[in-house]
Amino acid sequence: MNSDLINLFAETFGIAEEKLLPGATLESLGLDSLAVIEFLFQIEDQFHIQIPDQANPPRTLDEMVQLIEPLMPKDQTGSPGAAA
Amino acid sequence: MRRVAITGLGIVSPVGTGSATFFESLLRGKSGIRSVEVNFPTGPEKVLMGNIDFNPDEHFAKAKLLTMDRVSQFALVAAREAMAQAGLGAALVGLKPERFGVSVGTGSGGAGSLEAAYFSLLEQKVMRLRPMTVVLAMNNAMAAHLSMEFGLKGPSSTVSNACASSATAIGDAFRQIRHGYADAMLVGGSDALLNKGTIKAWQAMHTLAKPHADGPQASCRPFSSDRSGLVLSEGAAMLVLEDWDTAKRRGATILAELAGYASTTDAHHLTQPEAQGQAGAMTLALRDAALNALDIGYLNAHGTATDVGDVVETNAIKLAFGAAAHALPISSTKALHGHSMGAAGAMEFLASVMTLRSGQLPATAFLQTPDPRCDLDYIPLPGRESKDLRAAMSNSFAFGGSNAVLIAKAA
Repeated sequence: MNSDLINLFAETFGIAEEKLLPGATLESLGLDSLAVIEFLFQIEDQFHIQIPDQANPPRTLDEMVQLIEPLMPKDQTGSPGAAA
Repeated sequence: MRRVAITGLGIVSPVGTGSATFFESLLRGKSGIRSVEVNFPTGPEKVLMGNIDFNPDEHFAKAKLLTMDRVSQFALVAAREAMAQAGLGAALVGLKPERFGVSVGTGSGGAGSLEAAYFSLLEQKVMRLRPMTVVLAMNNAMAAHLSMEFGLKGPSSTVSNACASSATAIGDAFRQIRHGYADAMLVGGSDALLNKGTIKAWQAMHTLAKPHADGPQASCRPFSSDRSGLVLSEGAAMLVLEDWDTAKRRGATILAELAGYASTTDAHHLTQPEAQGQAGAMTLALRDAALNALDIGYLNAHGTATDVGDVVETNAIKLAFGAAAHALPISSTKALHGHSMGAAGAMEFLASVMTLRSGQLPATAFLQTPDPRCDLDYIPLPGRESKDLRAAMSNSFAFGGSNAVLIAKAA
């Protein structure tokens, strides 16, 4: 999985990176739908991308990464704080 | 009508977190007021305030904090203490969730989150605000968080009556239980309004205290001839109220009885209080509790330390208590914890309950030379002991003319 995304995820929610396995459901990581929306907003801000509205929001970490990764700029390292 | 028991207390305040620490500070005259440098856009300024050193990470997971303003954080920490004391911290044993409600007060709700949103929109010129802005700022967010934390599915409401918010919320909940709409209610208030916009707005009212020569901690001086105004503070206080028989049946420790409540409105002026309206609330609360003036052994005054407010309250107490007014021990604990606005009524009612239980009357700190117009027994330091304390009253009066009075009786 994209390490920049995982880093930002771990930092935002205070979750140890070893728990962030691809199949982990967001619910099992303690995130409700509002927290997921807040995280997608942070991603948009951080990487200057726009994530289209989702009829079915991501339920697992893997689904979230699949949603975001294709939208991320190829030439940007995007380390947390770089775009702040 | 059912009797209402108080079975849990919890508080986050400028003079300590936890009801025992809070009350100990009141008895020792420990002030939570200090001079803090605030960086306004026009430059740094020293501001007197009762702010709380509060580390949210000690209490909440990061994901949860994304959805909670400071005002809800205070309320939840205070509520956890109150629910634990009531024996309900882990589960609602002996109480039905559908019969357990929430009634809280706040003056400004998520004011800090709203200010942060406006700052990013108007100053940083962002295109979009945080998705959480609405749920952080809405006034009933803390009631929602409280209900979710403990699974409380009964009636819930949020009162915003400025400085009388939480006293009114407690009174409303008292009636819900008394008249059978709920068996238990988690009640209280919270405010977290020490942000730049709110401070500037209050400065413009010309009601804030100036630093005192004895130090910033001694700047809030209710009923003193040298008082100069109120000091803004923050925090939360929460109580568990329940039907007396239910509390007995489930073996809860009853701390005191919530015996009477009344509210009136001055219908007079936006900011100038009126003795008649305040006295009316005290008189009606006494009647509601089936007590007479001589039964009240301690009064926790609203006593904000403004020139007008303290005199009007003195006159109102004389109107309500008549000949008994001069023998009534009274104090304003705002001298120490400042004015936490929507939380003040709950903080001071909690202080009244602890006074009732301990027989130790907290003083009006820093009262050295009383204003001759405030000629009642406003207990100077070091406070006083009372041998036979059976009932205590707590006054809360608000901008807008809302008056709320609560009476607790010894269990």
